[in-house]
Amino acid sequence: MSAVRFGITAAAVLVVAASSGLVGRAQLTVPDFKSTRPTPRTASGRPDLSGYWKGTTDTKPGGNIGKDLPGWKLPLTPAGEAALKHNLTATIDPESLCIIGGIPRHNASGLPFEVLQGANKIAFLYWYSYFRLIPIDPNRKHSDDPDPSFFGEELGRWEGDTLVIDSIGFKDEKVWIDENANPHSDALHVVERWTRPDADHIHVDTLIEDPKFYTRPFTYSRTWVLGKPDEEIQEYACSENNVDAAHLGFGPGPIRPDGTRGYIDPAPLPPPLPRK
Amino acid sequence: MAMKRMLLVVAAVTLAGAPLVAHHSFAAEFDASKAIRITGTLTKVEWTNPHIYFYLDAKDEQGNPVRWTCESAAPGALSRRGFKRGDLKLGDTIVVDGYRAKNGANLVDARRVTLGDGRIVSGGSAGDGGPQ
Repeated sequence: MSAVRFGITAAAVLVVAASSGLVGRAQLTVPDFKSTRPTPRTASGRPDLSGYWKGTTDTKPGGNIGKDLPGWKLPLTPAGEAALKHNLTATIDPESLCIIGGIPRHNASGLPFEVLQGANKIAFLYWYSYFRLIPIDPNRKHSDDPDPSFFGEELGRWEGDTLVIDSIGFKDEKVWIDENANPHSDALHVVERWTRPDADHIHVDTLIEDPKFYTRPFTYSRTWVLGKPDEEIQEYACSENNVDAAHLGFGPGPIRPDGTRGYIDPAPLPPPLPRK
Repeated sequence: MAMKRMLLVVAAVTLAGAPLVAHHSFAAEFDASKAIRITGTLTKVEWTNPHIYFYLDAKDEQGNPVRWTCESAAPGALSRRGFKRGDLKLGDTIVVDGYRAKNGANLVDARRVTLGDGRIVSGGSAGDGGPQ
């Protein structure tokens, strides 16, 4: 996108946002960031996925791992249905208790993330001061019995210009697979296929398998846009002052017709005071 | 000047692409049917993650003293929208419009904050599913 076009787009967005009074809602979508800049590459010729990556508002519904399924309907097994009911009625959102969200939840999050790519490893840095560090080595194999973790045992390899991250060995307690309290078990297997089609976008196609809780594999795909050069992950000590933890109820609250967690029919706030 | 600052806030939030998101759902903690306005004296500020908290000494409908805990977004999210720690001055009279905690505690989601100087700022956690 040229600077002029970006300026026009940004100005238009500002006018709309200002006139509508929207100050808490992002407006930009992936097409607003059309790029003519080519994919950056490392010295070895691989795509360089490094950057600060931000979601856009055309990822709908946000935070829902069933985003790409008709009606956002996940193919839950009976055990999966029971696990979902348990999550909704007997568990507090692990992320709100400062427990790592893990994969694939972080890929469905509205939070930006940062990638730092080396020759043989790649790091994903997240708000909340979490990270995952993934070896890129086609010769490494999964362990027979990996210690369960929130991000799983992750192995990276290149398939052409696609970085494939294959993960097993997940925890089955204190995990929600997304913000809507959907479940996953310790049988979860996630295959992420990351690409950078141009300088300004990163994309993932995710295959999610969990034969305990889901009747069939399903997919989740998403594109993020590149942040500005001075944007980066900063300190976010989740457990510093988590006063709210003592006041949280079970589950995410109602799931709205648009597939997101939230309120239903809120009472209006009192009218704003007149400005001095 | 006020208009310029408002536009700067709009720009900062809008161009951010996607807002930083709360680490819990609005509905897990607050009751969207219990909107409330609190006017009180600012006694304490905790500019901390994962939320900032500030505390107001106010009075209930019977005139009895009551202390309110006011929860807003994370420091980074607030400062990017132009709501800085220095905007909260101990002793100021603050007006908070928000929603009460579901569990009945004197805790409020401070979605709209009228500062001591009369400036109105957004305190809510973007992306938490709460009323915007």
